Amino acid sequence: MRILSLILATFRELFSKATLYILIGISVIILLGLAAGISAERNGDEVSLSLFGNPTKMPVPADQFELLVREMQAGFARGLFIGIMLFGVFATASIIPDSLEKGTVDLYLSKPIARWELLLGKHLGAEAVILSNILFFVGGLWLVFGVKTGVWNYQLLLGALTMSFMFGCIFSIVLLLGVVFRNTAIPIIGSFIYLMFLDNMLENREEIFVFTQNKVVHGLLDTLYYVFPQVAAMQRNLDMQITHRAMEWKPFAQALLSSAGFFGISALLMRRKDF
Amino acid sequence: MNAISSESLTKIYSDFVNKKLSVTALSDFTLDVEQGKIFGLLGPNGAGKTTFIKILLGLVNTTSGRASILGTQLPNVKIRKRIGYLPENHRYPNYLTGHQVMKLFGGLSGMRRAEIASRSASLLKLVGMEQWSKMKVKKYSKGMMQRLGLAQALINNPDVLFLDEPTDGVDPIGRKEIRDVLKQLRAEGKTIFLNSHLLSEVELISDQVAILNKGKLLKVGTVDELTTTDANYEIGVATHPTEAFFHEAAATVLKFQLDKSTISADLTSTAELNRLIDLLRKHNIEITHIAKKRTTLEESFINLIKPVSDEKKPEVRQ
Ligand SMILES: Nc1ncnc2c1ncn2[C@@H]1O[C@H](COP(=O)(O)OP(=O)(O)OP(=O)(O)O)[C@@H](O)[C@H]1O
Ligand SMILES: [Mg+2]
Repeated sequence: MRILSLILATFRELFSKATLYILIGISVIILLGLAAGISAERNGDEVSLSLFGNPTKMPVPADQFELLVREMQAGFARGLFIGIMLFGVFATASIIPDSLEKGTVDLYLSKPIARWELLLGKHLGAEAVILSNILFFVGGLWLVFGVKTGVWNYQLLLGALTMSFMFGCIFSIVLLLGVVFRNTAIPIIGSFIYLMFLDNMLENREEIFVFTQNKVVHGLLDTLYYVFPQVAAMQRNLDMQITHRAMEWKPFAQALLSSAGFFGISALLMRRKDF
Repeated sequence: MNAISSESLTKIYSDFVNKKLSVTALSDFTLDVEQGKIFGLLGPNGAGKTTFIKILLGLVNTTSGRASILGTQLPNVKIRKRIGYLPENHRYPNYLTGHQVMKLFGGLSGMRRAEIASRSASLLKLVGMEQWSKMKVKKYSKGMMQRLGLAQALINNPDVLFLDEPTDGVDPIGRKEIRDVLKQLRAEGKTIFLNSHLLSEVELISDQVAILNKGKLLKVGTVDELTTTDANYEIGVATHPTEAFFHEAAATVLKFQLDKSTISADLTSTAELNRLIDLLRKHNIEITHIAKKRTTLEESFINLIKPVSDEKKPEVRQ
């Protein structure tokens, strides 16, 4: 009940800011553009998918059309993924330092709310907001593709849940940095660096191992790989999910453990703080 | 059972980088506050008043010592259901209205919706905020914020109320209203713990006061105990003392001054007081009243704090 109040408060806090409306605005523009531009054309036994009159791929036999649509959807998800995550972080990172600010944290913690509960409420609040945004956007994609091509890919909708889960994992890093530094910039920069650079480097660490035999480097990169949520690996699985192929559960289990770890460290650090 | 009890509470804010910047905000602080009383904690800036309240609310960790509220050892999260708190710098989400703030903090206290709605309306009325309850907090004036803060602190019908500078920024009429609210709460059996610089105000409502300086408890007692000084008396006389009386008094080294019909005597013991009375009676001077002389709380506060501050001042060589 109290956690629910915190989640609702966070929801309201974030929706009081302009950033989210920009995100929603961008989503609407993309969806409208797609709705206007996408079309399926049947040519005898073959069907092709075009965007604003330009075919996106070679025409395929009618029985493979569904696959073609799913692949295009996966392509969208892939192309927009980093953007969605980064914008999500950008829109939500402030809630941690804001709630730890003098005069605000006093009010929260004078209520029967443990410090870890405050963090959990904020984390779930951010998660809920991003879930609603992703559902809106992916739901829109699903609808546009369904109406325009006749392919109703329910796995795409499930993909929205997967993406939100991934956002939650990234947010655990934002949370930790927010608790430690009590500002907004460092968590944003930190998660940008992780998403744009570190995550890919760790995923492809074998390529670095070719250049060096140094045990310390190997050990360090391996450790980091297992400590941080493996976003790239989850992203591959998101692709599989949308295109109806078998998914691996391992990266998700790893990411869950990893973010629980980040959350735990945040909660421990939070306990020691004087406000 | 005491409402608040602390035992040898010590708080050092450590600075890990520069040890010299570590601050001892409270040192060996022992205090008991009875239930159903208004208790005022006084002290100059940086004395440790806010730190004490923050320890009780679990906002600051203790370095050593123990504290309890209503018999529950701290830190304890659940006991906060029975506590209300008005922090010294409180910031409410500025996109909410006063009424929404009440709803938010009622929810965070774990209250039911219907209960929140009814209490919120009556509390906003109590603190004189009903006409602004639908206005966004970002448009509030300082005094309005303070009033809202008080209403918010009361949302869960707390048994113990902590107020850090409650009348800061509130106009004189508002202050009187707040004092009346506090008295009413005391009549309902609530305990109110107050931090304040406004000594005259504390004097008006507190049952007990404590004076804190540099983290140390200097004195605790009722306002009466702090404002009456042991050996200062006022004696009213109906007839003007005679020359002979003055002569004899001077010989017995009694220190006093006469101002119209009141003798102010600065004596060392009650024996001296009795000697003075005997002397007055011997000279047939009629006594109308005898009373211990009062100082204001402000005077005794300054007298208590000043020697400590003077100690620290560097000597000035001439
Ligand atoms: N979070 C903190 N970190 C480090 N030092 C602190 C912190 N909070 C307070 N202090 C220090 O502890 C001492 C006591 O501060 P506190 O706020 O308790 O004083 P106060 O009696 O409430 O003063 P005021 O009347 O100005 O409100 C001060 O020296 C202050 O600098
Ligand atoms: Mg203070």
